[in-house]
Amino acid sequence: MNTLLNVENILFYAVICLYFLAMIGYFLFIGLKKERLAKAAAIVQTVGLLLHTAALICRGIGAGRLPMTNQYEFATSFAWGLCLVSLVFIAKFKFPVIGAFAAPVILLLIGYAAMQSKEVKDLMPSLRSSWLGFHVSTAIIAYGSFGVSFVLGIIFLLREKMKDKGFWDQHVPSREKLDLISYRSVCLGLLFLTFTIISGAIWAEQAWGSYWSWDPKETWSLVTWLIYAVYLHLRIRRGWKGKTAAVFAVVGFICVMFTYVGVNTFLPGIHSYA
Amino acid sequence: MKKIWKFLGSMQFAIILLVILAAACAGGSFIPQGLSPEQYAAQYSERVAGLIVGLRLDDVFHAWWFLVLTAFLCGNLLLCNLIRLPQLIRRTRAAADPGKLGTPSVHAEGVRDFNALLAKLRMPKAVEGSDGEGRPVRYSVQNRIGLWGAWVCHLGILLLILGFTLGQMTKEEYTVYGVPGETKRIAEQDYAVRINDFRVDRQENGFVQQYTSDLTILELSGGEQAAAIDTQASVNHPGSAFGFKIYQNAMGDAAKLSVRKDGETLQESYLCVGDALQIMGTPLYLQLQSILPDYETGADGHTRSGFAYLIYVGDEFYTMSVRAEGEQIADFKPYEVFFSEPCSYTLLQIKRDRFTPLALVGGVVTLLGLLLAFYLQTRKLWARREEDGTWTVFGSSPKGGALFADRVKDAVEQLKNQS
Ligand code: HEM
Repeated sequence: MNTLLNVENILFYAVICLYFLAMIGYFLFIGLKKERLAKAAAIVQTVGLLLHTAALICRGIGAGRLPMTNQYEFATSFAWGLCLVSLVFIAKFKFPVIGAFAAPVILLLIGYAAMQSKEVKDLMPSLRSSWLGFHVSTAIIAYGSFGVSFVLGIIFLLREKMKDKGFWDQHVPSREKLDLISYRSVCLGLLFLTFTIISGAIWAEQAWGSYWSWDPKETWSLVTWLIYAVYLHLRIRRGWKGKTAAVFAVVGFICVMFTYVGVNTFLPGIHSYA
Repeated sequence: MKKIWKFLGSMQFAIILLVILAAACAGGSFIPQGLSPEQYAAQYSERVAGLIVGLRLDDVFHAWWFLVLTAFLCGNLLLCNLIRLPQLIRRTRAAADPGKLGTPSVHAEGVRDFNALLAKLRMPKAVEGSDGEGRPVRYSVQNRIGLWGAWVCHLGILLLILGFTLGQMTKEEYTVYGVPGETKRIAEQDYAVRINDFRVDRQENGFVQQYTSDLTILELSGGEQAAAIDTQASVNHPGSAFGFKIYQNAMGDAAKLSVRKDGETLQESYLCVGDALQIMGTPLYLQLQSILPDYETGADGHTRSGFAYLIYVGDEFYTMSVRAEGEQIADFKPYEVFFSEPCSYTLLQIKRDRFTPLALVGGVVTLLGLLLAFYLQTRKLWARREEDGTWTVFGSSPKGGALFADRVKDAVEQLKNQS
């Protein structure tokens, strides 16, 4: 058991190094305008993701349960989710610039994880539920997708400042397409966030006897959900499309981060474990 | 008047409502809820406290203005869905009508095999027809059902809000606690709970894994038992009987309290920590405050628990102390009063909310709507045969836009390179 947790520990730090290398690679790709560096960075990030997956599996087996139950485990899973979704979007839309913006966020998240206690604690009865895995894994994908929307929102807002036509026009889609790609990531995120909230409500009903009690974490997940609903409607309205929607994509992720970190830090509630 | 209706059903109004609701929820999570005016005054300034209480910011989620906003949202959704229903039916029909192909956003020339292109894009096989001007055209339409996504999603949210609100208004909620062997009435209801057993499962290191209560729920008629259902409640696995759900909510310490006189037992019952009991006819109330395990070790080497208690005269505090198991509390002479048999009580939450299934249906319908809206995007491709035998292809996708056009272009290129 303990050896697995030690392996996890080593892998975890290797993953941080790889993500850092990938970030440098993406930055150099933009700085030196060399396409091969983007490919190399994506490969390093993919290797990082594979080791990260191995680390999570080691932790799961070592702890004898899903690695999703405390701040450390959720932070590292969150970084994993953002890494996964950003790689999918980089590959699908041939858009490595996403990596340059996502990598610092991934490092922040995994850095936050590194500062948390890694101790394997016993699970309180209410957390011993088959809903745990579904609830948290959908949240990880939702948060990862919203991280990508955030990155795309920022790229959208910076797009006009990208003056060096040759390089940027080749590597960053037009505002119209950026909006469509951002929309894809919000769709993925909102669908999974809805799964998270509904599974959470079903679980809360079983564990606490009430499916919705306006606990701060619940409330903030609703705020996040509403912000992205506004984003969707802004996009449909002609005239407000684009810039305002991009701002909401950015604000939405700030809500996500607040739901995740802020609520635990500033607001008391029954969701106190993660 | 007409303008007002139009605004109430508009998306602009929806956006405003959603933003205000989000802000209200955020506010409700920052301002501590449910404190007294004095507590707010102590935490904030007098004026801010007045504002909080005046605007009902101390109970945002049940404040009249929050309910009004929610009602407006429901009305907005309902109007929007009603207004859009005929349009939607028309659009769904039109989407499959080759006479109403609309303006293309995709255009490609020189395609040899239209069906191969459709196969590559994973779209259905082409159908023959004639376009608005009577010219022959082949066309393929995919995911017309996706047009209904937003409508279904809005319907789901309506059901969800309806189920939640009706549930809040009509739900019944009770708390019952006791030790095994006791039967407790559920408030004023014609039901009672018999606690047959209460178990705490622990891991090897003593950490609690699960709490389980074995129960019999009794239906009473004129005070008599009319029907009984056995059930079990543990954390994450509520029990159910007679439309109630029974949740294992908490546990606590309890002990047997005995009152004797001249060796004869007059009163014997379990007392939970925190509860008080009037002793016989006296004005004295005995409250069990806590149980101290391993309080003292007897001459035989066995440890005995201690029982910390308070005594009240009416509701005035009188005295407090600790006695070991079986040791008399002298204040009640001539009665012999003592605690024994420390044990655990179970605290159950008993609830009946008939509208939970409606809220659940609403949630599932919302999810379904999102799936339709996001992942079944409506796409159309149509093609005209040119004299050289190739096809000129047109297409449109309201949501895919330029990305769909790119995909079609890529597929056309790939097909050209293959041949
Ligand atoms: C909590 C409230 C709401 C949620 C979660 C919600 C959700 C959605 C979603 C998911 C879509 C599809 C967007 C897309 O496909 O990109 C949509 C579209 C739409 N919504 Fe809402 N909506 C809400 C409230 C409203 C309200 C109150 C109105 C009232 C007018 C409204 C009007 C519309 C319209 C007109 C569309 C466009 C439909 C289409 O493209 O076919 N929404 N909404």
